[in-house]
Amino acid sequence: MTFVLTAVGAALAVALELFEAMAIVLAVALTRRVGAALAGAAAAVLACAALGVVLGPVLVAQVAGDALHVVVGVALLLFGMEWLRKGVLRLAGRRARSDSYAEFVAEREALSEAPPPVAGGFDWPGFVVSFKGVLLEGVEVILIVTVLAARPGGLAPTAVGGTAAVALVLGLGFFLHRPLRRLPETELKYVVGLVLTTFGTFFCAEGLGADWPLGDGGLVIVLAFWLLLSQGAVRALAGAGRGRPASTEAAA
Amino acid sequence: MRALRKLILGETWALPIGIFVAVGVAAVVRSLAGSADWWEDSGGFVLLALLAGAFVAGLGFRR
Repeated sequence: MTFVLTAVGAALAVALELFEAMAIVLAVALTRRVGAALAGAAAAVLACAALGVVLGPVLVAQVAGDALHVVVGVALLLFGMEWLRKGVLRLAGRRARSDSYAEFVAEREALSEAPPPVAGGFDWPGFVVSFKGVLLEGVEVILIVTVLAARPGGLAPTAVGGTAAVALVLGLGFFLHRPLRRLPETELKYVVGLVLTTFGTFFCAEGLGADWPLGDGGLVIVLAFWLLLSQGAVRALAGAGRGRPASTEAAA
Repeated sequence: MRALRKLILGETWALPIGIFVAVGVAAVVRSLAGSADWWEDSGGFVLLALLAGAFVAGLGFRR
């Protein structure tokens, strides 16, 4: 159960962030120069890899035992409950749905208004846009994956889920942009929020010396609780806001 | 820095503050419980209830 939930959580988080990053890289590649888009993305991937190599061992070496459970739990709660909050607001119609394709179109429009790259020169503006977009999405991926992998027994399922997600997204990249439009991003991000929040609650409580009934099976109880609470919140917010237009808050 | 803060803490202050308060209160209750068995059996649900309160507060139902 723990293995499957960790792998699913890591896979979904990695895949969704990669989709968002790919939307930006594609927009730069199609609007400006492919070389600058790929160079920016590659530089950001290297920076993220360096962060992951440093962060993981430091976290495990410096924080051990119950304290590690609490630190990992709080970190997962910070990410998970924010994803869950946004998911509830989107499902209740209080916020624009998550849409990487819309971001792709908006990014293309913004880039098309910028001065075109100089003939024969390197496209630095395209490089910077691609680098920044991939870096911001990548750092979130690294933080989530590091925290999931740092807990005892977390490395293998996180690696399996993360690797599967990278292969899936890169594979779909060949067939973009139709899959990008069909992806139910809002629902998937809501599920990631549920999984991360469940793990965060579970590990934090263990770090504070509490035992869950059924051992690891207690994850199902916690997951069911957050599912019921969040769905109740969706219904309450949707009912209270009926007739109101969706918020124009950023969809990211 | 604003992007980094948004990345780690999210878009609102209510939720991260609520999470830290919930975990802090749970830690205090645990220390007050001492060696009592009830915390081992029920501490997880105490934390769950505190986090649920933080989550509902973070949703901003009044808006």
